[in-house]
Amino acid sequence: MTDAPQPSPKPAEALPSVAARLAFYQRASGIVTPLLTAVLAFFIGGLVVLATTHKNPLNTYKEIFNGTGLNWLFPWIHGTERASAALNLQQTLIYATTLALTGLAVAFAFRCGLFNIGGQGQYIVGSLVAVQMGIWFASMSPVPHVLLAIVAASLAGAVWGGIAGFLRASVGAHEVITTIMLNWIAVWAGLYLIQGPLQDPRAALVQVSVTKEVSPHSKLPVWWGNSALQGLHIGFFVALAALVVYWLVVSRTTLGYEVRAVGFNAEAARYGGISVARNYFLAMAISGLFAGLAGAIDILGWQFRIDQTGITVASQIAFLGIAVALLGRNTPIGVFLAAMLFAALTTGTSTRNLDPSVFRPELAGNLTRIIQGLVVLFVGADLLILYIWRLRRKLKLDRSKVLPQEVPQA
Amino acid sequence: MIARADTLYDLGRSRVATPRAAAALGIFLGLFAFWLALPPVAARSVVVPGVVAGAAVAIGLWVVSRGDLRPGWGAVAAGVVGILGGAFATRATTSHLDVVITWSALVAATLRYATPLTFAAIGGMFSERSGVVNIGLEGMMLMGAFFGAWGADVTNSWVGGLLIGMAFGAGLAFVHAVFSIHLRADQIVSGTAVNFLALGITGYFFNDIYGNNGTPDDLAGIPDVRLAFLGHIPPHGLGSFLDDSFGQLNLMVWLSLALIPLSYVVMFKTPVGLRIRSVGEHPRAADTVGISVYGIRYACVTLSGALAAMGGAFLSIGFVHSFAENMTAGRGFIALAALIFGRWRPFGAFGAALLFGFASAVAPRLELVSGWANYGTLFQILPYALTLIAVAGVIGRSIPPAAVGRPYAKQ
Amino acid sequence: MAEEPPALELRGITKRFPGVLANDHVDFDLRRREVHALLGENGAGKSTLMNILYGLYHPDEGEIRMRGKRVALSSPKDAIEHGIGMVHQHFMLIPVMTVAENIVLASEPTTGGVFLDYDAAKKRVADMARTFKFAIDPDARVENISVGQQQRVEILKALYRNAEILILDEPTAVLTPQEAHELFEILNNLRTEGLSIIFISHKLNEVLEIADRITVLRRGKKIETLPREGATEKELARLMVGREVLLRVDKAPAHPAQPLLSVEDLHVLDDRGLEAVRGVSFEVRAGEIVAVAGVDGNGQTELIDALAGLRHPLSGRIALGGEDVTGENARHVLDHGLGHIPEDRQRRGLVLEFTLAENLALHDFRKEPNSRFGWLFPNRLVRWARRLLEQFDVRGGGPQTRAAALSGGNQQKVVLAREIAREPSVLLAAQPTRGLDVGAIEFVHRRLVEARDSGKGVLLVSLELEEVLSLADRILVIYEGRIVEEYPPDVTEEELGIAMTGGHREEVPAA
Repeated sequence: MTDAPQPSPKPAEALPSVAARLAFYQRASGIVTPLLTAVLAFFIGGLVVLATTHKNPLNTYKEIFNGTGLNWLFPWIHGTERASAALNLQQTLIYATTLALTGLAVAFAFRCGLFNIGGQGQYIVGSLVAVQMGIWFASMSPVPHVLLAIVAASLAGAVWGGIAGFLRASVGAHEVITTIMLNWIAVWAGLYLIQGPLQDPRAALVQVSVTKEVSPHSKLPVWWGNSALQGLHIGFFVALAALVVYWLVVSRTTLGYEVRAVGFNAEAARYGGISVARNYFLAMAISGLFAGLAGAIDILGWQFRIDQTGITVASQIAFLGIAVALLGRNTPIGVFLAAMLFAALTTGTSTRNLDPSVFRPELAGNLTRIIQGLVVLFVGADLLILYIWRLRRKLKLDRSKVLPQEVPQA
Repeated sequence: MIARADTLYDLGRSRVATPRAAAALGIFLGLFAFWLALPPVAARSVVVPGVVAGAAVAIGLWVVSRGDLRPGWGAVAAGVVGILGGAFATRATTSHLDVVITWSALVAATLRYATPLTFAAIGGMFSERSGVVNIGLEGMMLMGAFFGAWGADVTNSWVGGLLIGMAFGAGLAFVHAVFSIHLRADQIVSGTAVNFLALGITGYFFNDIYGNNGTPDDLAGIPDVRLAFLGHIPPHGLGSFLDDSFGQLNLMVWLSLALIPLSYVVMFKTPVGLRIRSVGEHPRAADTVGISVYGIRYACVTLSGALAAMGGAFLSIGFVHSFAENMTAGRGFIALAALIFGRWRPFGAFGAALLFGFASAVAPRLELVSGWANYGTLFQILPYALTLIAVAGVIGRSIPPAAVGRPYAKQ
Repeated sequence: MAEEPPALELRGITKRFPGVLANDHVDFDLRRREVHALLGENGAGKSTLMNILYGLYHPDEGEIRMRGKRVALSSPKDAIEHGIGMVHQHFMLIPVMTVAENIVLASEPTTGGVFLDYDAAKKRVADMARTFKFAIDPDARVENISVGQQQRVEILKALYRNAEILILDEPTAVLTPQEAHELFEILNNLRTEGLSIIFISHKLNEVLEIADRITVLRRGKKIETLPREGATEKELARLMVGREVLLRVDKAPAHPAQPLLSVEDLHVLDDRGLEAVRGVSFEVRAGEIVAVAGVDGNGQTELIDALAGLRHPLSGRIALGGEDVTGENARHVLDHGLGHIPEDRQRRGLVLEFTLAENLALHDFRKEPNSRFGWLFPNRLVRWARRLLEQFDVRGGGPQTRAAALSGGNQQKVVLAREIAREPSVLLAAQPTRGLDVGAIEFVHRRLVEARDSGKGVLLVSLELEEVLSLADRILVIYEGRIVEEYPPDVTEEELGIAMTGGHREEVPAA
């Protein structure tokens, strides 16, 4: 009679990671699923509008569309309408820059199987560092000054993300909770700093919490529009460059290979000799780097100082980054398009664009949030979308070979 | 005296007995050492807490050497806290200490801050024990906060408000359940989406209905429970302490305290609880004996939404008597951390909730210390930092229900 | 045997899954008081058929009759109500709960209808165990009892629910020969008590020992049902596979040379911090296959992990090709001459979402010419992969196909290709043929023998005694973390079985 314990673990009920599932559905349906997801979300948003304001949602959406500035692309728009569309489009693109970067942050972490909800904290940290760098070193010439600020801010974001990555790598603390805690710590620390040590002395006299403005040399030049009216700055190109860099790193470097391997199957990666812990740390650090960069670009591009709203709006930006990454299926092009979509949505519903008689702007902001929530919800439930599109029948043949837990052992 | 399993192969033969009691004593001594340096004892010499804390560390190390790592290191940590805290406190002036440490007020405040955490954590326990991660507790709490206030306004009674809040919380949870269970979405993504949705929905309707003025000032509030008899318990000092601490606490606080043993009994002493746990540990095994995995998961997730909403409703109509956008401020996540910290058991989660509640209670009082007023904002970090340390240090290896987070595929 | 209607009849059962016809109009009947074996290789459709019977799957066509009357079994609950109990291959037990809790789950005795009456549960379990002559502790946690005992808990679960038909799915996969004998005794007892038993297996010798009748399935179809009298292993194998099968691998005698892997007094802890490997020493020489045989859970996993660099040994020495690699990580060990075919190809061997080219480069992607200074050259990976895939006859896709699209056998070929093509000096193979069909098994065995003949050392860790006896030049038996015996390949299964349970040649182990 033996007392030998434990039976062998049963073979794979391998649960595909988020990275794996998103990758599968991206391959399987290309642009259809994200498109359908967005359409469905907007549709439900429209129902909300209808139900609460009893107004035609299509009208509302049309007004919102005009506010985005995308109508500037239509050649038949002329004159003052074109000019205001140009302004709007610049705003949209400014915001899209930020969202693309925060989207990349989340996307990179997803590739490694990690869920980075800490974009808010990483962005704030990046902003704070960028502001300070912009204020100090005022005597430096523009190019090195800007570079210094950007690099420092990105590193700060990388550190903030790296803390969560380190904790995940060493003790296995789930990054969802640690990044959220780090978010709140950054928020309160940021508020403290702009109320205290970093406060602009002139503002302190009137009890306003805001930092000093960065030196003129560190501001990013504007290439479209009027810098006095917050034109589009070269940060846009930084974002485009970041998209390319992201793609290169993920698909053409050994680091990207390792990150993807760990994201798809950390066990197999470990058995193959890849250090899972190291990659968890690096993925979160690089993820934080993108988010910190986003903060820096915003500061040097158009904000030039941080006030209380600057701190609190970071949460909106960060969560949009999650929606962007999910909708964009963690790919550079997808992230860009999704960033454009959400940026357009935000500009279109902003206070200065939306005619209150059509739809109240305060509500519009929350409506946007509802739509974003629905997008994330539907993206998570790929099954729902596929079912609606009836791709399910066509894909069932492929799915059985891809998702191991579906295949029964006969 | 205490047998230890040296090798894997002894496990079947011996029972591994753990000196838990000793570790508990160690933790108690460590905290007691800290307490000695605080009012009302306010020992002025470092030696007093030092000795007691030293004993705690010694006990902790002994427990570790006996193989029970987690409680052992917990006792050591408590001892370190005792020494450091005691040293710090003995160097602070008594007047400062008195400002910060009014124990009765602290106890009451701790309980108040812990209550929403308790509700959400126990809700989370049901969900997670059945195998569904519920990151959306924050959103469900927020739904309960807003719709509790709105419901109280509309029905002019706190009961109506509470029930309506619970209904909306449960409704949001049901959405999470559908996406996580039936549609087999990634549960964390689904939970995050649910949080967004809650933020948007509550913000939208708050602005739509209450606009710039905010919720009405005469919002029906959940009543406090006045226990006047406590004040009359001799000796007088004890009586007044009890009265100040427990004499005027909200009904929801007492409900949350009652919920703890109730949920313990349900989860561990009834067939329902056994089935819930089986679904969370090994859903296929549960399925093969005829338990409805989907049914149990739906029920548990919806229940978690209702409970979290109760915590939210307490926040709005029981505590501050109004609603502000995003007033839950991350409490849902702290509740989740409390649950993990408490090893998915009600009493453990409550202990963690008390700990985080204490941090929240102390933070505004630290601000009252003269010269520290400017750091007020910084002190708000306390509960979050504490959660971070807890998640990172002490609980990193907590073992969740085996099947948590995995969608169940019925063929 | 009485002429009653059969206890159970399956007629024309058909079940389709995406891309596969698991059951193709299968007929099957079961008499009272019989043990009926269902035989077939992996993927033949045995488990699917039984899962249909147990209500876990719904058949696309066909009907089920019990005692002549048609029944619909749409869930395990239905099956249980009709007196069908199932003991799954991978136990449906909850490790953190006690035996009693597991047995009464979903039919719990209560006090006042609200509270769980644990004492009543305990008593009932103890009573049942006594009636059927099992030795079981109702309070023990399932994760702490032996595999054989866990299986008895599963049987008790079925009996607790008044099963009259018992389905056992590959019950001896995790048992030693002795434990298997004990199980057969229990089955005989149950048969006398009036139960009918369906015994799913792919092990020919056991089927011949216990069954009254044998039904052979192949590729979803029922091939034949025959009585035990007169059936031979050879014929059964032929029915199972459809052609003559080589039951033992053809191999030349070994000519072992210098030691390539030497392990000295190795001690390794498991995940809980308890010693799982307690002083193991052995050598693997060039040109030989050394097999480690033992019941699962006796330290094999930890031993392999330590050798593969995935687990830090507590003490001891591991030398690869003369070089000390004790405590080095996986990358180091893999770079210094070890090839590792892991136990679970989908979880540990392959990244299913990667292409075959990417999978084949899993160890070498950091090296030239695949990459330089961190920059990757994917087309070089593809070229290398194309060669390997041809060499190892991998079917189902090319270098750009995702690994998930391949069948199990081809996936294992990819793993083999990756490991063998790197020309390691020592090849570590853990359960290399688990879940594979006969063709793939033959392929893997051939490659392992080839590796050995080309001068490599092969360490095979396997739970399949037939595989061990067929391939090994030396057999080491591991028991409770120690190597307790070493045997030449002509040892009998019986002796091997005794050693695996800790007994010695002269003793007969107590029941």
